[in-house]
Amino acid sequence: MSSLLRQTALLVGLALLPAVGQALYFRSQISWDARVSESEMVSVDQARGWGADAIWIDARPEADFERDHVPGAILLNEDRWNELLSPFLQEHWKPEKKIVVYCSAESCNLAGDVARRLREEARLPNEIRVLKGGWEEWLKTRK
Amino acid sequence: MNLIWRILGWLVGGVFIFAGLTKIVGFQPFHWLDPMEFARDIDNYKMLPWTISVGLALYLPWLEVICGLALIFRRWYSGALAILFALLLVFIGASIVAKTRGIDVSCGCFGHLSNQLSFAWHLALDFAIVAAVAALWLSDRQTYRAELAGD
Repeated sequence: MSSLLRQTALLVGLALLPAVGQALYFRSQISWDARVSESEMVSVDQARGWGADAIWIDARPEADFERDHVPGAILLNEDRWNELLSPFLQEHWKPEKKIVVYCSAESCNLAGDVARRLREEARLPNEIRVLKGGWEEWLKTRK
Repeated sequence: MNLIWRILGWLVGGVFIFAGLTKIVGFQPFHWLDPMEFARDIDNYKMLPWTISVGLALYLPWLEVICGLALIFRRWYSGALAILFALLLVFIGASIVAKTRGIDVSCGCFGHLSNQLSFAWHLALDFAIVAAVAALWLSDRQTYRAELAGD
């Protein structure tokens, strides 16, 4: 039994070494505090202030978008990514505009994932931000 | 008979090395993968704080690789089997809990390769590996007892 515990502890400890090395190697890319880092987010007030300089993207499911959405927002979610991306790029995207992506609330991950895919897969050069507090926060401050 | 257990150990070890490496490196071409990708997979289960998901994303793949190597080279063999058995039970438990909560997640078990794996296939694969690890464990115990009796 003590041999089993010793072996387990050795293996658990041994795996820590490369993990720490990897954490150091990727330290600039790792966000320990939140799935979407603070610098990638934008408040509702600031995003509103951008006015026509921003394109709003709704990353929620289509049913939620149909119910209500930010005026002028475009539906682009992960469920229908392949289908919706091309029309978005052809009809709405402009290189000089900022992009604001939102989902239902602070805790949802959809907006962060869509924003990341726009940067990494669609390789858009725009400033792409995730709306802090999402749709819930936008509703609170709707005028 | 011993050879069969050896081969099963190599197979299970190989599966875990492969599973770990698919989360650490990309193969076409070879490059280090961003650990945040696996952190997001863990976070999708909505069971752990983000910080712990990041820590696990950095740690678990290496633990899988090292335990897989331990099985292949029969070094710290019992410890590796115990760890892998515990890991599998946690993976299965987390998957079932996520499913019952209506969260449809890719397990991330084999990096992006497992994105297309259905829940049923994911569970079947996990249970098959659990059975193999349990069988290796029993065989190891029998060998250990036989050695003790021989002394």
